[in-house]
Amino acid sequence: MRWWRRRETGTMVGLLLLCVALFIATPYFATVDNLRNVAEQSTVIGTLAIGMTFVIIAGGIDLSVGSVVALSGVVLAMTLRAGTGAAIAVALALLVGAATGAVNGALVTIGRLPPFIATLGTMSVARGLALLLADGRPISGFPDGLRALATARWFGLPVSVMVMLGLFAIAQLVLTRTVLGRFTFAIGGNAEAARLAGIPVRGYTTGTYVIAGVSAALCATLLLARLNSAQPIAGIGYELDAIAAVVIGGTSLLGGSGSVLGTLLGALLMSVLRNGLNLLGVSSYIQQIAIGTVIVSAVLVDMALQRRLRHTPS
Amino acid sequence: MRSLALMRVLGVLVAGALAALTLAACNRGGDSAAAKPVVALVVKTLNNPFFIEMEAGAREVADSLGYELLVQAPEREIDVERQMQIVENLIQRRVSVLALVPNGSRELVPAVVKANGADIPVVIVDTRLDAATLSAAGGRIATFVGSDNVDGGRLAGRFLVEALPSGGQIAVLEGIPGHETGDARLTGFREALASAPSLRIVASQTANWERDQAFTVTQNLLQAHPDLEALFACNDVMALGAVEAIAAAGRTDRIRVVGFDAQDDAQQAIREGRMAATIAQNPRAMGRLAVLSAARLLAGDTLPAEQPVPISLVK
Repeated sequence: MRWWRRRETGTMVGLLLLCVALFIATPYFATVDNLRNVAEQSTVIGTLAIGMTFVIIAGGIDLSVGSVVALSGVVLAMTLRAGTGAAIAVALALLVGAATGAVNGALVTIGRLPPFIATLGTMSVARGLALLLADGRPISGFPDGLRALATARWFGLPVSVMVMLGLFAIAQLVLTRTVLGRFTFAIGGNAEAARLAGIPVRGYTTGTYVIAGVSAALCATLLLARLNSAQPIAGIGYELDAIAAVVIGGTSLLGGSGSVLGTLLGALLMSVLRNGLNLLGVSSYIQQIAIGTVIVSAVLVDMALQRRLRHTPS
Repeated sequence: MRSLALMRVLGVLVAGALAALTLAACNRGGDSAAAKPVVALVVKTLNNPFFIEMEAGAREVADSLGYELLVQAPEREIDVERQMQIVENLIQRRVSVLALVPNGSRELVPAVVKANGADIPVVIVDTRLDAATLSAAGGRIATFVGSDNVDGGRLAGRFLVEALPSGGQIAVLEGIPGHETGDARLTGFREALASAPSLRIVASQTANWERDQAFTVTQNLLQAHPDLEALFACNDVMALGAVEAIAAAGRTDRIRVVGFDAQDDAQQAIREGRMAATIAQNPRAMGRLAVLSAARLLAGDTLPAEQPVPISLVK
């Protein structure tokens, strides 16, 4: 595909333009320290949005991820406090994420619930479980093992950024080079046609929700490392930020098309925008207007593109 | 097909330009003021009049001193990570002093440590950081400006002890669990009530500092406890939600509602007899003292570890 036809090009240009605007507007933006800072800040939503990309490409939506961040974070914190090593604690958190994803998948494929309703339900259940487990309070005071994820650097880059980039690279490979990826696009494009073509739609659809759950658990791990605490009320509204990153990245909410590379750019764009607005000391109210405007513009363009695509032979 | 891709590029260009314009518009005057000291005040949220009052107080002093004041807050009070991002970004902005009302007593400690690393003095306002976590992380703050919330809770408790000499049932609306302010107010409130065994707390639930949640929670409490005599809410925003629910149930005359913060709306409700009392915290004075502290820090003064802002009962 020619570069200008790639779905990510628009996002890339938008991101670059925003960076240039900030470079001109403030001397504090284009410093090594600040760029490192922005990259670090994008890791939380970026990681969460990886799984969301899979779900949305397959034609679904997952509203539960914010709550799953809280639930897996609480499990992670409690396990760490119990004195197991970090590896076991993270593995358990990932398991919790995968399990909630499997429940979402089952509700959507076997229960035939619309994804919006199914994940709205698990959003509430997972939040309740997190509050119940943590007794409503933040959990802190565990060994420093995981803190390195937020503080250490490799070759000048924060470890959290390396981890996120690694995850995006894996996701990109899975989506473009494996059967799972091809089937995800096929299901999102036309689930019925995919079924008739012999694709095990239920299994692979569930797979996308499991990926979303695992992403949420990874996000919880990064969050715990950053704040040195796990909160049962963490992640409220994160599902919307993740959806925004996916959509800004050019993935269609109608399913069947999109890319994780675009999502990475979308997450970076949101972080850069928020960072820039903070650096400029823009009022918190206007910040929300600016962020909303960018999201809506991105979707408007995407929808126009979708219409053209359907009517124009390429 | 080329026009198609072009359209997408153009669209995002427009979005970017819009954002850039917003930025430029808001930044006007920022550059000419580059030499002024910049004080950042990061509050929990701007959805609560308490913090808007605090901002007003801070702005009074900042204007009179010729300082630039940046006031920022996360969209959601519960979004601790976003508040941390704001602090990180303001560190990059190289503000002269950071005044912070932390959204999490432990969770914001890493952010304070980062400010320490950048040699930006930190003034903590209103909500304390957890001292043990702070010292374990090697962080330090220049001073704490705020009221003693335990004292305020005691005042509220004593008021109800006196108002209900023959005892009765009390419901409590808590803030977000783990928030130091709410916890401290509850501690003081319970302490004061301990002297009057005939007063019983029959229900204590969180409404997460929010008015609409307080409304719903109170509606449910009213169903469960028909003999309720009083309700204490850990802030006025929740107290006002409770007042609405109580009015809707037609029990305004029978239930005394005590809030916290003495917001205008709450004082109005007290004058109209819909609410019994509130605790005046004076956020404006906190904002003023925060910026004054910043000025003294910039002048090289050492500040007392605690700078109390007086607290009083309004009824």
